[in-house]
Amino acid sequence: MATTTGPQTASPNQRQRMVSWMLTRTSVFWVALFLVAIVVIFAFATDGVYLRFTNFKSMATNASVLIIVSIGMTYLLGAGELDLSVGANIVVAQIVSAKLIVGLSGTTAEVSSRVYPNLALGLTVGFAAALLVGTLIGVVNGLLVTKLRVNSFIVTLGMLGVLQGMAIGLTGGVNIQYIPRQLQSEFAALELFDIIPALVIVMALVAGVGGIVLKRTRYGLRTVALGSDRQAALRAGLQPDRHIVSLFALVGFCCGIAGLLDVARFAATNLGGHALTALSSITAVVLGGTSLFGGAATIVGTVLGAFIPVTLQTGLIIIATHPAWQLAVTGALLITAVSLDQVRRRRNL
Amino acid sequence: MLPLMEARDIAVDFGHIRALDGATLGIHRGETLGLVGDNGAGKTTLVRVLGGELVPDRGHISFEGEVVTFHSVRDAHALGVHIVYQDLALAPDLTAAENLVLGHEPLLKGFAGRLGFLDRAAAARETQLRLRRLHIQLPNIEEKVRNLSGGQRQSLAVARGLTYGHVCMLMDEPTAALGAQQTAMVYSAIAQAAASGVAVVVVSHDLRQVLEFADRVAIMRHGRVLAVEPARSLGVREIIDIMMGAVAPSSVDLPHDSSSRGNDEIRDID
Repeated sequence: MATTTGPQTASPNQRQRMVSWMLTRTSVFWVALFLVAIVVIFAFATDGVYLRFTNFKSMATNASVLIIVSIGMTYLLGAGELDLSVGANIVVAQIVSAKLIVGLSGTTAEVSSRVYPNLALGLTVGFAAALLVGTLIGVVNGLLVTKLRVNSFIVTLGMLGVLQGMAIGLTGGVNIQYIPRQLQSEFAALELFDIIPALVIVMALVAGVGGIVLKRTRYGLRTVALGSDRQAALRAGLQPDRHIVSLFALVGFCCGIAGLLDVARFAATNLGGHALTALSSITAVVLGGTSLFGGAATIVGTVLGAFIPVTLQTGLIIIATHPAWQLAVTGALLITAVSLDQVRRRRNL
Repeated sequence: MLPLMEARDIAVDFGHIRALDGATLGIHRGETLGLVGDNGAGKTTLVRVLGGELVPDRGHISFEGEVVTFHSVRDAHALGVHIVYQDLALAPDLTAAENLVLGHEPLLKGFAGRLGFLDRAAAARETQLRLRRLHIQLPNIEEKVRNLSGGQRQSLAVARGLTYGHVCMLMDEPTAALGAQQTAMVYSAIAQAAASGVAVVVVSHDLRQVLEFADRVAIMRHGRVLAVEPARSLGVREIIDIMMGAVAPSSVDLPHDSSSRGNDEIRDID
């Protein structure tokens, strides 16, 4: 009988458990191995330039912004939704933040001669605005998905277009000038113990909180439950719509953090930037072991997974291939990651 | 006597299909009510209305004599009314213990609890306790539900119902995936729950079984409850005649010795 626990039923159970253990735990192992392989290949291809400490530091910094967005994306994919508008969200958050910093820190004349009498006010409002704008965009995405019952793929694809248009419209297509360089010297360029860049510290904080909340709290459990079986979650008394909106808001909040970190790091906006972010982020999350279809999510996997597109893209820049190849490689990686996810799911069923 | 819960004149439409058409049913504390009827008679729909999952197009539900409106299962859960679904409603990627507590998760004491931190030890204890009461053994309560057998999943769903349906438990074919021994365990658990004052409604196709365990039997046909009779006054033959529309319930003769006569017919209904 099915409910007995004799040795006959225990052994296939054990085998299944072992297979699922290998596929989840060791996906981290394979991602790590893949990373090492990428580093070794580029070490040879660049005559060792790739192995310089400054390169690792810059890759860690580059990965930080991607990881922060991908933490939010891990939750969203775990719940069975996705957000293609993250890159454009970051750009809009950058613009609003930068405009407010420049506008509030001094008069036009003062700012254009790089004098900022009200820098504290400008930075406070500018940073808060980045977080607020990012979150609001997420809330709008979430409300459209839940209220209109439109697939999140379509909603966020549409939102991507809307936000890209807004970015050009708000700036007239010109990047914002006179952003205080103190942002770089007093924050983004700082290094803890002269080794760990400030952005990496922010990333570690976000990843740490993200990992703990996902594994240890009711919110994390309910997120995965929604991705596993939406109707079962509803029948257990969860409120799927509210929860989904909060997840989109969370991704938006992460985009806001990414936007303000960008402004601080470059003391500039980049209207054409983050074209690859949604693609890289979803690739990182799925490579790390989070299912594209919900029900499984891992922050450790995401953090490791995010280094794959970053190490590849950096390597390609150093060996001076045409930038278009970064896009091609990242796209191919996403397809690989999703195929692996399919294999994982099939074995699991 | 005032029923614990009453559904009065309930109508539910799914598009052009009228699933319930003026169904009325009262449920009392401490009773086990068998809900029977042919496929499409509206049994599952009535259970979903009583459990708060469906808002009826017409009619109302009263609880302890007062009219209540269930906007979702959450409102029903708050009153201790819980459905055990035929398709079990478990999340396959969550463990057995996580599924048991989902929606009612125990949190840690103090500040960590207010931040939403789970008390996984308490969840494990609760799950062990509930499963032990049903005499269910799972190899590992931290096993994902997708790796459990059909019988183990069904037992888990019943354990959920017993945990949260402490006032009224609505069970839709709770033993469909179970073997004889496990079925007996579930019915003994139902009897225990009823003895402690829980109102239990069991939807079942197994008429002989219904007559064995139920105090009363409600017979549905075409979206209405045609008859509610004490089980001891009914036989399988009479139930079939009413649910198939062969006789109007008022004209049914209720001979006490007829229960064995109709038993051969049961398979046809299944």
